[in-house]
Amino acid sequence: MDRRHFIKQSSVVSFGGLLLPSTLLSSCRKETLFEDAKFGGKVLIIGAGAAGLYAGFILKSMGTDVEILEASANYGGRLGKLNGFADFPIDTGAQWLHGKNNILGDLIAQAQTKISIDNSDELFWFNNQIVSSLPKDINEIFNREENVPDVSFKDYAIQEGFGSEYANIVEGIAGDSGAAAARISAFGKVQEEENWVSGDDDFKFQGTFFDLIDQQIASQVKNNLKLNTIVAKIDYSQSSIEVTDTNNNVYSADKIIVTVPITILKSNSIQFVPALTSEKTTAFSKIGMDAGMKVFLKFSNKFFDQNIIGGEICAAYADESEGKSGNDNVLLAFIMGQQAEFLTGLGNDLAITNALLQELDLMYNGQATASFLASHVQNWTTNPFVQGAYSYSTVGMGDARNIAAQTLDKKLYFAGEAMNTNGHHQTVHGAVETGYNAVFNLLNDIKK
Amino acid sequence: MKAKIFNFLLTCLFAINSSGQEWRADVSYKYIYSNQLDKIIQTYNFSRPLLTERQPLLMNGLNASVSRIFKNEKHWKYGINLSYSFIRSAAENQNFNNTLQLHFVDLGYIFHYENAEKCKGLYTELIFSATASGLFRNVNDEPFEYDDEKSKSFGIGGEIQSKSGYHLKLKNKFYFSPFISIACTPYLYAPNNEAVINQTKGIASENWTSILSTQVGLAIQRR
Repeated sequence: MDRRHFIKQSSVVSFGGLLLPSTLLSSCRKETLFEDAKFGGKVLIIGAGAAGLYAGFILKSMGTDVEILEASANYGGRLGKLNGFADFPIDTGAQWLHGKNNILGDLIAQAQTKISIDNSDELFWFNNQIVSSLPKDINEIFNREENVPDVSFKDYAIQEGFGSEYANIVEGIAGDSGAAAARISAFGKVQEEENWVSGDDDFKFQGTFFDLIDQQIASQVKNNLKLNTIVAKIDYSQSSIEVTDTNNNVYSADKIIVTVPITILKSNSIQFVPALTSEKTTAFSKIGMDAGMKVFLKFSNKFFDQNIIGGEICAAYADESEGKSGNDNVLLAFIMGQQAEFLTGLGNDLAITNALLQELDLMYNGQATASFLASHVQNWTTNPFVQGAYSYSTVGMGDARNIAAQTLDKKLYFAGEAMNTNGHHQTVHGAVETGYNAVFNLLNDIKK
Repeated sequence: MKAKIFNFLLTCLFAINSSGQEWRADVSYKYIYSNQLDKIIQTYNFSRPLLTERQPLLMNGLNASVSRIFKNEKHWKYGINLSYSFIRSAAENQNFNNTLQLHFVDLGYIFHYENAEKCKGLYTELIFSATASGLFRNVNDEPFEYDDEKSKSFGIGGEIQSKSGYHLKLKNKFYFSPFISIACTPYLYAPNNEAVINQTKGIASENWTSILSTQVGLAIQRR
């Protein structure tokens, strides 16, 4: 072979053998999933929380016929907004963005939403006094990633030598995960958060979390939303699925995405026909979701610290005005688990407020009652369509979350924060992830 | 430990200088196909309908490498190769410009075959390399950071590359050499790629990938 031949042939080989297949391959490689998939059927989404709204948004953007049925009079699920109580808007539900390496972090950047890192100081109510640090570092045992037993936070702390004087501190740590210390599993939390990639910083919104979801997601599907529609029955025995609400209205669909809280699935308030398998219902029952409430207390002066952990009535108080542009003095009582059950048992908002004021008076020498102006109690436990805070890992839970999230008969898809099997449960971004994942599974089943 | 590494590198350098006869520097266009990266970017685009401009797949890039071929009178020669590749994907949306930067560094051993009697100037090489990858993300032209750290994913694996080229004499000992190559990385362990691109773990892909790539380029050789 002479030089001229080689150059000629290598040019042909280069173009034909490499560039041409590369170009062809490039055109075959799609930039997104299901680009050519057109689902002509109808999808019903049960629940208009973050997961349901996002699933609806994705389906609508693909041209699918979708309707979202919401039991309550408002959309947003466990996100909510309170105007007028203070001179800044208040999140009555989820309010912290847990890490920004997640889909909502991108959405916030795109929408230019103002957020700030919550770097507020943490003080402790310990042995009847406010202290800046504890005699022993209890957070260390809950930050361990290895050799953590499958026992409750409460038992784990005792095993590690933290006595009863730390009980309310442990309650505060468990409350951060929306649970009672006696029920949440130390091992389960470590195991389930193995895939957490969102980041450790917590962010607060200058506006509200609800506004972000409302303006960026809910606004896209408002025309597909039907409020005050309580689903009583889902009959998926035939090829066309029939959903009946409590007013006996019947809705037909080809696919259903169920996004209701795990408490609603556990309570059997939705009848499935045929009945769900015992494996599925057992999985639901193993996923924890405790009582939870947020009480906002408004005062004439700021006598309180940024965070106080370890109260007996409320294990976590936080200065609500941190990160907000307002002057009002609002303290948030973040109450979960057994403490929320106790306060709910008091029966009315006045009794709940008084119990909290008494505790704050003890901490701050009577300043709470003296400067008290108003309160707002947001009890998610008594909300019939939520019935609690958010899901957590119980002792002996095993693979329950994976089983609970599995699709049924290629007809029923499950989403919502409790169905997030990738470490982002308990969060709004985790709920959003399950929303698009349910649509992914649905379209994948159609493709097959 | 530092002294040991220094001694090792010094020995390698000495070995290269004492026995090296040829050196080569090349640049090339590189096309890659990775099922894992494709799936993650596809999931990213699928899950973010608000972003009207889709994130392109990571596939087109540039490669630069330097090689040293050791002296040998026979058809087979041996050498070492250090290679760097850069692949970029950028999507501009309103208030949100997202850029992915994928880097590869390969350090490999070359088996160089050249038979001047049968095909003068034509050469073929097999290169076995250790590969390291780094994936980074920029948002609005700034490195994307969380928890005060840049979003990043590193990977490690091995690559087999087959390369063919032809020497064209320029002057004295310098040669100009067009070449083509095809490479396969059967296993690249990169567990955080999904965390960087789609900000999840375990939804879109496995924690490893295989990569196929092709290159077309030009080399300058001193023989």
